[in-house]
Amino acid sequence: MPGLYVHVPFCLQKCAYCAFYSVPLADVHGVGTVKDYFEGLAAEIRLRQQDTPFGVSSLFIGGGTPTVLAPEGLERLLKMLVSGFSGDAGLVSGLEENAIGSGGSLGWERQRAVRFEDIEATSEANPGTITPEKLRILRQYGIHRISLGAQSFSDQLLREIGRIHNAEAIREAVRLIRLGGFSNLNLDLMFGLPGQDMKTWQESIEEALRLGPEHLSLYALSLEAGTPLAKRYPLGQGKTSSRMPHLPDDDEQADMYEWAVECLVRAGYIHYEVSNFALPGKECRHNLEIWRGRDYLGLGPGAVSTLGGVRWRNLENVAVYGQCLRNGELPLTEVEHLSERERMTERLMLGLRLSEGVSLEGFKQEFGQDLRDIYKDVLETYLQQKLLSIEENHLRLNPQYIFTANAILQAFG
Amino acid sequence: MRETIVAEASRNIRNFSIIAHIDHGKSTLADRLIEYTGALSAREMEDQILDTMDLEKERGITIKLQAVRLQYKAKDGQVYELNLIDTPGHVDFTYEVSRSLAACEGALLVVDAAQGIEAQTMANVYLALENNLEILPIINKIDLPSAEPERVKQEIEDVIGLDASEAILASAKTGVGVEEILEAIVAKIPPPQGDDKAPLKALIFDSHFDAYKGAISYIRVMEGRVAKGTRISMMATHKVFEVTEVGVFMPSMRMVDELKAGQVGFLAASIKNVKDTQVGDTVTDAENPAHFPLPGYRKATPMVYCGLYPVDASDYGELKDALEKLHLNDASLVYEPETSVALGFGFRCGFLGLLHMEIIQERLEREYNLNLITTAPSVVYKVKTIAGETLSVDNPTNLPAAGEIETIQEPVVKATIMVPSDYVGVIMELNQEKRGTYLNMEYLSVNRVSLTYELPLSEIVYDYFDELKSRTKGYASLDYELADYKEADLVKLDIYLNDELVDALSFILHRDKAYFRGRKLVEKLRGIIPRQLFEVPIQAAIGTRIIARETVRALRKDVLAKCYGGDISRKRKLLEKQKEGKKRMKQVGNVEIPQDAFMAVLKIDE
Repeated sequence: MPGLYVHVPFCLQKCAYCAFYSVPLADVHGVGTVKDYFEGLAAEIRLRQQDTPFGVSSLFIGGGTPTVLAPEGLERLLKMLVSGFSGDAGLVSGLEENAIGSGGSLGWERQRAVRFEDIEATSEANPGTITPEKLRILRQYGIHRISLGAQSFSDQLLREIGRIHNAEAIREAVRLIRLGGFSNLNLDLMFGLPGQDMKTWQESIEEALRLGPEHLSLYALSLEAGTPLAKRYPLGQGKTSSRMPHLPDDDEQADMYEWAVECLVRAGYIHYEVSNFALPGKECRHNLEIWRGRDYLGLGPGAVSTLGGVRWRNLENVAVYGQCLRNGELPLTEVEHLSERERMTERLMLGLRLSEGVSLEGFKQEFGQDLRDIYKDVLETYLQQKLLSIEENHLRLNPQYIFTANAILQAFG
Repeated sequence: MRETIVAEASRNIRNFSIIAHIDHGKSTLADRLIEYTGALSAREMEDQILDTMDLEKERGITIKLQAVRLQYKAKDGQVYELNLIDTPGHVDFTYEVSRSLAACEGALLVVDAAQGIEAQTMANVYLALENNLEILPIINKIDLPSAEPERVKQEIEDVIGLDASEAILASAKTGVGVEEILEAIVAKIPPPQGDDKAPLKALIFDSHFDAYKGAISYIRVMEGRVAKGTRISMMATHKVFEVTEVGVFMPSMRMVDELKAGQVGFLAASIKNVKDTQVGDTVTDAENPAHFPLPGYRKATPMVYCGLYPVDASDYGELKDALEKLHLNDASLVYEPETSVALGFGFRCGFLGLLHMEIIQERLEREYNLNLITTAPSVVYKVKTIAGETLSVDNPTNLPAAGEIETIQEPVVKATIMVPSDYVGVIMELNQEKRGTYLNMEYLSVNRVSLTYELPLSEIVYDYFDELKSRTKGYASLDYELADYKEADLVKLDIYLNDELVDALSFILHRDKAYFRGRKLVEKLRGIIPRQLFEVPIQAAIGTRIIARETVRALRKDVLAKCYGGDISRKRKLLEKQKEGKKRMKQVGNVEIPQDAFMAVLKIDE
């Protein structure tokens, strides 16, 4: 069963660092509408059901900002997903009639019991758009994990990067999330932000810990081409002109990262992926499966799927996405048929991001060959230099080199 | 196609060259002469026809010699055969120029009306005078607003001592003066002398390799005749061949029945290797040989050496083939295999000079699509060992240990620098820094000076020309010739990366400069060598003594923070690209070294 990702490509406004596909709601009329999105998504779900005959193993609603949708929109989205993918194949076709065919919520009331309860089901949320009502709807359809884009607890930094909320809004959002009955909460935090120093970073981490999240994602800022932040800092990190807040360089980012890793591990979190930390058993299964090389289906404009060695991206344009699907066509772009060699590269590239590493057994099962034979020369050198290790039948990156993983991974490219 | 060209009396032949400084308009003038005499139709006329290599066109300089025969009907009603022999305009090729000039009776001295005479021009004028050539001064570019023909005329008289009263004012660009030049060639340059009944003596002034005909010799017949079937002997190399073809350049090659005393053309004789048709050698008749060869032959000796290595070791075979092919056309390029710990298998190559080196490198990269690492150029040192041996060292790696050396001698050149008098102080300072010895200073005119210095060739190879140009805002010109070998206090500077010697970075220099350059070089390498997973010390050492040290700090961050479903392809492609980039690095021990590092030795700001 593949994991399911659903992209909600709307935001109140675009953050200065963000390169993901999303449409500021204010601009929606120019580039497509929520209506285009929902019509397209409904059709895409119908066309994609054949790809998930046994349902999906996880659900992740991301964006954009899923919680930017009005309660009715959010409910409509969840209904469509539950009917399409909640796992009971027998139920699916009948539900489809009810959920989409009838076009209203009348027929739906009878199927309320169907929820994403048995699989990990996450929705991203923005502290500025969370309401008790939206949380209630999410919970109602079985979403039990919230990934909250906190980013920082410094109001000044939040402003600097174009976030729509302040630190107090994060605390309030977490209170509502807990009240709403969500037992699994992730907080996203960013480091290396313009003007951020070690002290403000440490404060953010400590604030976050006080909120007791089950999961933390700490992302080093990268300047993505075309984003406002990249335009503000054309010379890149560490080379700030005196008029601009200092943008921490790689060394400063590494200091922040190392401090945080140590702090979180001491607090009982498991550093299970480059940027991800979780209390035992609270790792994000959806992403974990992707890093282990499992298939995933992505719905919505801009979403990427990988199924059976084929990868594609949906068009990054709400209007065109909607139009294609209304005409019964899939809005595919960047279709890639992955060669065996490419799949091997990806298996190592992703697996070595994980503390569990790459399973030798799993690799052999998938490719019929031992990875120690395929990468003999590289492994010989790297094992000897202690950059990599083989323990418990897994190939692992020495934790000391996680933040320089690319320098090692490129040997497998 | 075979065409018979009616043999003309040699009194209607004029053989001439053009002497000019780079950019003073030599090629353009040659084009105009070809155009005017109709050797090519306008349609066939491609600008600057004499410079056939792309590189030459880009750089605007002539590297390889070419020749062309022009038919000119003069005002006296007679048709003349004008042979224009082009010469390369660079100090690296002085010997080739001298042989081309030796094939002529006259030369056009082209001087830019705005800039006046330059050192290179002077050197070639002296070569022409040594060969007793009639020199016709031409003041070119008179259409420029900044043209000062009278001043330049005066300079020609003062500096060279030529009568410039009849100097022709011309603009090769607009065509002004072209007819006048042609008339002057006919009227003033003497027809060739030489007995066509005497035993054959023909001067080789160039050659090129033709895949079907073998090496083609460009010749000027001094005495006697040569025709298809003549058994010829090369007087320097003693090789014997049978002529398969003789012809002339129109400018494309056209066969003729024979070439006789006074004429310029080519011969083909199934010569497998351009080495057997050396510039300056004398072709004679094997059955009826001349007693003495023509004077002036010299074996081409490389002045500058460097290592050429393929970035990708698997390109070694291709590099070898490419060098072989270039060598077919250019006997002055020498190469032999060498091995470097840092760079693997490659070749030690010898060149006439720096420009020659750059041209060969560029041709290898462009025409043969090779990706090369070039080590810093070195001159040839003569080392006397305590054991009493004398060694020629063209690769710093081969320098014996200090304890085994009795003396080291380095090549020195006699350099002539011409410069506006305002810069005399600047030049003296530069030459001081470059270990120069003052020989002479001469005022060419009120505001132009010619300075003569003895300079170590290694300093010229290092960065002299760039320094000269930048310190004099481009006004200085330089000419030099190898003068002597002189003893000097020289040492080998070694570079260690992560405690491993990088042989390809070693170089020989004067002891007084070692500390400073060692310091600068390690600083520079610190900037070039990318941070690696571990700290990399960079050390400069003379023998076992470390004189400078820097450290490349360990890499702290190289990771993609976010790698979710939508990022995977991008990430994989990034890794694949990084891996490609890594292939272009050289590995010494655990350290990856980018190509630039090996050239860093050459350019250190002082």
